[in-house]
Amino acid sequence: MKLKSSQSTAGFTISEMLVSVALSSIVLAAAIVSGVSLQKSFSAVDNYFTTHMQQIRIIDYLNRDVKRGLIVTTSVDLQSVTMSLPNYIIQSGDSDATSTNVGTPRTPTISYNSSGWQVNYAPSTTTVVYTINGNSITRTENGVVTTIASSTDQLVPSTTDVELTNTEYANTSVTFAPIFSSNGSTASRTGTSLYATAYLRNKRRG
Amino acid sequence: MKISTHSSERANVLLCVLCTILVVSVIGGNVLLNCMTRYNVAASQVRGWKESLDAAETGGDIAYAEVRKTILSPSSAFSGWNYTGGIYSNSPVTYGQDSLSTNAKVDLFYYDANGNPWYRIRTAGTAPVNGLKRVGMDDRMGPNNRGDSLLRKIDFNYDHFTATYGPNGDGLNKTLVPVSRPQVTRRVELIAAPITPFEAAIKANGIFYGLGSAAYIDSYRSSAGPYDANVKTTPGDPRYIDSRSGTVEINSSIATIMGSIFGNVYTNGGFVTKNTSSISGIIDNNVPFTLPPYYMPDTSGWNYVSNPSTVGNSTTINPPSAGTPRSPNYYLISSFNNNGSLTVNAYSSGGTVQETYVAVHVTGDVGASTGQGATIVTANHVHLEFYFDGNFGAKAENIVNNSGYAGNLQIYGISPTDPSVQQVVNLNSGGGSTAGFAAVFYAPSANLTVNGGPDFVGAVVCKNFYANGNVHWHYDRTLDNVGDAVDYRVISYVEDTR
Repeated sequence: MKLKSSQSTAGFTISEMLVSVALSSIVLAAAIVSGVSLQKSFSAVDNYFTTHMQQIRIIDYLNRDVKRGLIVTTSVDLQSVTMSLPNYIIQSGDSDATSTNVGTPRTPTISYNSSGWQVNYAPSTTTVVYTINGNSITRTENGVVTTIASSTDQLVPSTTDVELTNTEYANTSVTFAPIFSSNGSTASRTGTSLYATAYLRNKRRG
Repeated sequence: MKISTHSSERANVLLCVLCTILVVSVIGGNVLLNCMTRYNVAASQVRGWKESLDAAETGGDIAYAEVRKTILSPSSAFSGWNYTGGIYSNSPVTYGQDSLSTNAKVDLFYYDANGNPWYRIRTAGTAPVNGLKRVGMDDRMGPNNRGDSLLRKIDFNYDHFTATYGPNGDGLNKTLVPVSRPQVTRRVELIAAPITPFEAAIKANGIFYGLGSAAYIDSYRSSAGPYDANVKTTPGDPRYIDSRSGTVEINSSIATIMGSIFGNVYTNGGFVTKNTSSISGIIDNNVPFTLPPYYMPDTSGWNYVSNPSTVGNSTTINPPSAGTPRSPNYYLISSFNNNGSLTVNAYSSGGTVQETYVAVHVTGDVGASTGQGATIVTANHVHLEFYFDGNFGAKAENIVNNSGYAGNLQIYGISPTDPSVQQVVNLNSGGGSTAGFAAVFYAPSANLTVNGGPDFVGAVVCKNFYANGNVHWHYDRTLDNVGDAVDYRVISYVEDTR
């Protein structure tokens, strides 16, 4: 019995091999480069969204506290914001805390002085400080630190407070440098700016 | 037998393409998933969180409107609201295309020294959270800190607030309450404080003319010491800061201002220009305000005393008790002689004179616009609120407030029910007298005239104001928290962030 092989007797010439290998290399390289680029691009978009959410969180935190604040003070370098808030909830350890009232809202007391009527929820107020601390943006309330955003994303919050006759408002802008910015230009950062203005609902004290 | 083998070259190419597509798709899908999740947070959860505050503040506005009605339209205040245990509450109000809902609770929690009630408004606003029913990817910012969830507390399945703190946030009646759909609820507490009438030396709702060319308006603070005319020109005096608040507020553009004003001047579209020799403070020609009609306060809680019911040429009131700001001794006077005289004495107990609170309501005219007019004398320790429905006429020297504190003699002109009736208050100084008196007038519907040059300590709120004499007008800054409530303002705002 004679076995018939269907294999072509004609092989590739060296020229064909070289051309095919070259073309394959080009196609493979293009695929790899495209994949890497896509990965970078997708990663940048992902990072942009993530950082944008942090922007929103910073603004929301600040605005919530400014609205209920009694006074807002911004540092000279605009990187730190300190505010006083009414001490609304009775906390364990407060002078008026009992076994039954911890965690309940206070009934305010009313007083009158040369600047008018004042509503006081407690003899003292709660101090909240927003600041850039190392690689984090933190909110410190009576010494308790909460990290609200990561500055490793080059987030830069900047707040100014403007005093009016009876009230005050705070302007905040938060920017970051998007990672798909090829040259890190100022325009790239400016394009990410998020602005917010919040007014104190209370009459400003001090 | 011939065995045929087939080349798999084309299949290998296809496999490569599929693998490439798979890798790219996995990358893209992963990124798309992340972006969608964050978009979901941004578009739905952040929006819901913000809208819920809008709803809570809307509930506060609704409740605040009802609080204002207790002054401006008492018969309709809290109409349709439930009243249980001293708390008014309304049914949830739903509004807007996003179906935001809000409800409010209002309670009277404090009476001030004037007997005016203060209200606490607690509201909750709820917004639905649309989109994916999941928390954000940024929930954990660090090993011990939570990110989004610490700020935006979303109720996906149960109302976390009721479960953790109880429906009123006081730790009572905690229960697990399912929510029909994901939602965010925010809660705020507002304090509505009464506005008292005497926040300026003179407040005129209409035309202003005055004072005389040699007159002046200045101020002092009686709690910091007696009036001293030299303080306003002595910057080194610690009382100086209180000496230049003789403010004049005019709700029209027609103002003829003469004399010296040690304070600010406000008009509504006027053209007052600064003359440093006559106006020490600022001039703002864009300060409109509203003076609603003034109605007789609710007297149901007052201690009604039937005698006297008229005032003749010499009528004396000896109150049977000291009374309180909330429940003064109340006299209803049906007639007051043109030249009538009313003396109000303080109540004594055990030989000790008490701080005595008296309210007198005259349902007609008091005195006359010409001639002797009325005489009103209050003893020391008497706090008199004097209401009149008609006109008021008296010589300045016949208004004798022996305490010397203007806040102890408060005179209120009840607005006529017929708007065509023009109420009048005339204060004259007889024979060029410069005799002084201390009182405050709140008559938003009355034209008030001051003739002559009395030395006046107090404040005036009226419709049109006219004064032609060289009045020496001293506004006592402690008067800014004295008197009946004429409106309410929100002076405190706090959010329950739990």
